[in-house]
Amino acid sequence: MKEYDVIVIGSGHAGVESALAAARLNNKTLLTTLNLDSISFLACNPSIGGTAKGQLVSEIDALGGEMGKAADRNILQLRLLNTGKGVAVQSLRAQVDKHAYHMDMKNVLESQKNLDIMQCEVVEILVKDNKVYGIKTAFNETILAKTVVVCTGVYLDSRIIIGEYTKDQGPNGFINSHGLSSSLSSLGFKILRFKTGTPARVLNSSINYSKFECQYGDNNIQTFSFLTKKQPKNVAVCYLGYTNEKTHDIIRKNLERAPMYSGMIKGVGPRYCPSIEDKVVRFADKTRHQIFLEPEDKYGNEIYVQGFSSSMPRDVQEEMYKSVEGFENVKILRNAYAIEYDCISSLDLLPTLESKRIENLFFAGQINGTSGYEEAAAQGLIAGINASNKINNKEPLILRRDQAYIGVLIDDLVTKGTNEPYRMMTSRAEYRLLLRQDNADIRLTEIGRKVGLVDDYRYKIFQQKLKKINKVNEIINEKLDSKKVKELLIKKEESCSIIPTTARELIKRNNITIFDVNEEFKLFKNINSNILKYVETEVKYEGYLKRQEILINQMKKNEDIKLDKDFDYNKVKGLRLEARQKLNSFKPLTLGQASRISGVSPADISVLTVYLTLSKKKK
Amino acid sequence: MVDDVIIALSTPVGKSGIGVVRMSGKNCLDIAKKMFTPLNKNVDIIPNLMVLGNINLGSTTDIGFMVYFKAPKSYTGEDTIEFQCHGGIAVTQKIIEKALSLGVRLAEPGEFSKRAFLNGKMSLDQAEGVIDTINAESESELKASSGLQKGILTKTIENIQDTLIDIMSEIEVNLDYPEHDIEYATKEKINNEIDKIYTKISNLLKTEQQGKIIKNGVNIAIVGKTNVGKSSLLNALLGTEQAIVTDIEGTTRDVVIGSIEYKGIKFNFLDTAGIRQTNDKVENIGIEKAKQVLKESDIVLLVIDGSKELDNQDKENLELTKDKKRIIVVNKIDIKKFIKLQEETVEISAKNNINIEKLKEKIYNKAIDGCDVNNTLVLTNARHLEVLKSAIREIKSIKETIFENSLDLVALDTRQLYEKLGEITGETIDEKVIDRIFSKFCLGK
Repeated sequence: MKEYDVIVIGSGHAGVESALAAARLNNKTLLTTLNLDSISFLACNPSIGGTAKGQLVSEIDALGGEMGKAADRNILQLRLLNTGKGVAVQSLRAQVDKHAYHMDMKNVLESQKNLDIMQCEVVEILVKDNKVYGIKTAFNETILAKTVVVCTGVYLDSRIIIGEYTKDQGPNGFINSHGLSSSLSSLGFKILRFKTGTPARVLNSSINYSKFECQYGDNNIQTFSFLTKKQPKNVAVCYLGYTNEKTHDIIRKNLERAPMYSGMIKGVGPRYCPSIEDKVVRFADKTRHQIFLEPEDKYGNEIYVQGFSSSMPRDVQEEMYKSVEGFENVKILRNAYAIEYDCISSLDLLPTLESKRIENLFFAGQINGTSGYEEAAAQGLIAGINASNKINNKEPLILRRDQAYIGVLIDDLVTKGTNEPYRMMTSRAEYRLLLRQDNADIRLTEIGRKVGLVDDYRYKIFQQKLKKINKVNEIINEKLDSKKVKELLIKKEESCSIIPTTARELIKRNNITIFDVNEEFKLFKNINSNILKYVETEVKYEGYLKRQEILINQMKKNEDIKLDKDFDYNKVKGLRLEARQKLNSFKPLTLGQASRISGVSPADISVLTVYLTLSKKKK
Repeated sequence: MVDDVIIALSTPVGKSGIGVVRMSGKNCLDIAKKMFTPLNKNVDIIPNLMVLGNINLGSTTDIGFMVYFKAPKSYTGEDTIEFQCHGGIAVTQKIIEKALSLGVRLAEPGEFSKRAFLNGKMSLDQAEGVIDTINAESESELKASSGLQKGILTKTIENIQDTLIDIMSEIEVNLDYPEHDIEYATKEKINNEIDKIYTKISNLLKTEQQGKIIKNGVNIAIVGKTNVGKSSLLNALLGTEQAIVTDIEGTTRDVVIGSIEYKGIKFNFLDTAGIRQTNDKVENIGIEKAKQVLKESDIVLLVIDGSKELDNQDKENLELTKDKKRIIVVNKIDIKKFIKLQEETVEISAKNNINIEKLKEKIYNKAIDGCDVNNTLVLTNARHLEVLKSAIREIKSIKETIFENSLDLVALDTRQLYEKLGEITGETIDEKVIDRIFSKFCLGK
């Protein structure tokens, strides 16, 4: 019988990172997939990144994951969002060639040592004494494993809906998975039903672009991966257009045929990804909605119509799309559809992404109730690392909320849970100023090195960068010629009542950048602009960063106090009943996690602290 | 060992002879030194030794004692400072406020005991009691803020928090959905909303004054040069012969307290010796005292002899009281009406009881000035006051920087303000901003 250290079920964005991490950490790994042609498939937008998601990708990269590198290799257009709104919320977003991206990742997997790939359907998770020991495939073959990572995405008992038409299948005509969902259910997992959707793809040559606004990429900006040396070229243009009252009338007229309103769709859909019929109903006073046109690949014949997702019948879709200015003669290649699928409650998971009920069974990606390629990949990476660490008796990797968006994502999932597909947003991160796109490597490379996924090459590049940062930090503390400083102040219309003596003080001024200072004083040689920009941010945000640091230190104290997951909170006299029940059902791993559970008050945490110290002393 | 410094009032809140404020944590002596100046400048601060000095209350000072207990020889096992000051809410509150402005944090319920326990200052048996203390104190705090008052306060704060959620959702939607054609959250608009919140919280804080008045009454100092009829006025107001009234200059040497109740509010009258320069030693002490009484008073009645022209002493008194809430009382109008001042005056004759009721009404109006007496919300809880005062400080700092800061920083400031207010309502942000974003804006791909 075949036996593996780690079996990863599913080859989407979560599964791929998970399998690569496990294999790269020297575990004998098997990746199963329903279809090799669906590896790393971008089933919705042909784009990676976006607000908060861009940060996730760079975090994955800093930890030694693959997504950032693969995205950079297949970019059609790269933009930095939010440039005018502060560094903390600036995020990269790229249009990528979805076919090239898939082929690229497939190639990476196929070339990976320690990794087997197998096209098959997994129908059962094999468990004995609450511990996983393998999987069973549809061929009735049993494969043994020390750990199993479930990354099945939207394929569990899924069905697609286009108006009155519905079919049991996965996204984009791929087959779906039967059996696994009921296997999970019989293991005691609570199964939820979520829903999402995608717009139509249309033929490029059938669009009248004169009715749309062009959107170009940015030049000379950082990339997702800290290893990418060559600035990607912007070869694609995107377009912005609008729906109109005519479109909305068509939708209103056909509402009784909309599955969303006829009761045909029962799954819970995400509020941030509504269908066009949802937008028209909920925001009736809006006379137009934005749509963006994005090419699916480098050939540019097939166009993704962002903002126009729908589950209306085919004929209504046709009428709707054609009502848009510039779409008069549009040809729909693939219809918009909604998809319903099974997922588990993420509250059943530990912060390591291991199941609370079945040992050595991990979950990552959309099966945990998230949405988005980046969210999935981030979880996949962590689940892969932790599956490996579990086998090798290493401490699990749990990133804190102040360390990474990945930490925020997983903590939200396992502590708060989610009742709709969860999307990462910068507003979910309370330490947003620290979790920037530009410092992901500074935050996480050392951690990735400790895990074992940061190789010598990446580590060397990182250390060189640190050296350069230190150098810049030294230079900006040196005294400057006060006459020239004053000249610069006057030129930049800054107050001269106090004359700064160093570059550092100059940069603190609102209207003066590190580049202005460099132009005037020629301080930095052979230092790239990303590094200068990073130092500038640290200087300009210093006060705020320190304030966040104080809050983090307060939080960390509780985060460092470990709780036994078999502890019976009923034993703690003085805890309120609600707190006892909540803590007993959650079994938090740290006092910090306990404090974030709704229904547990600060007084309860105080009581718990005293109790814990007391029992430690009694021993 | 826990290292941040905490502070709390150790004596019961409200009227008491002396108040003890306790501060504990690493290096709290450094903070205490910023708040306390020994009267004898050559005195060293030695552990366990009481030192007399001035406690810095921001705009004023209070004379009191400070004791330093060096770790581990203190109740909590950490460096600890105790201030012993005059009782009552105002003084202790100001000490706490000063400390908070220096980075100290208000102690959680039972936190002193908890620290004592964690630092090994208690036996295991005693420790069981710590859990009870935590629960009892958080319970009593809950009680203090429960009932009708709590209902109104919570509602008002929740209302403000709701506005903040609106502001935050507008900012956040701009940050998280940069490409959507939504109305841009302009800083002018945010600033306007913040202004409104400022007014609301200021109004709440005004009820602090009202709360104090209801609890302790309003302190009224009667000030004026010698022999203008201050004691007669006091007697007229009290309706009894309390103070000694003579024609000899300088006969009233003690601060005499008499109280009446007028429309449900207690008026505490503080009579003062005539404020004037004199060589009489005993009287000089009286004058010093008068100046101090002036400081402690809520309202000043400045009495002027209407039968004579204003002299330099009157002018000095006018100058001395110009920053106080004051009523200028022109006395002796039965003799002759001579004086005409620019400021509004109340003309009376203390001797003949003319216009005394009118004066009481005037005092009443002055006392409740800015307070809505029908508003049943009265802030008396120290923690609530503290939260609101810090909120005001935070708003001021937001307003100072809003037009220079980028939107991500404005968002952080607004969030902190929300969380500050959450210390009263217990409301945390959680999903609220995100919920608001999706209910207000049409977003998504």
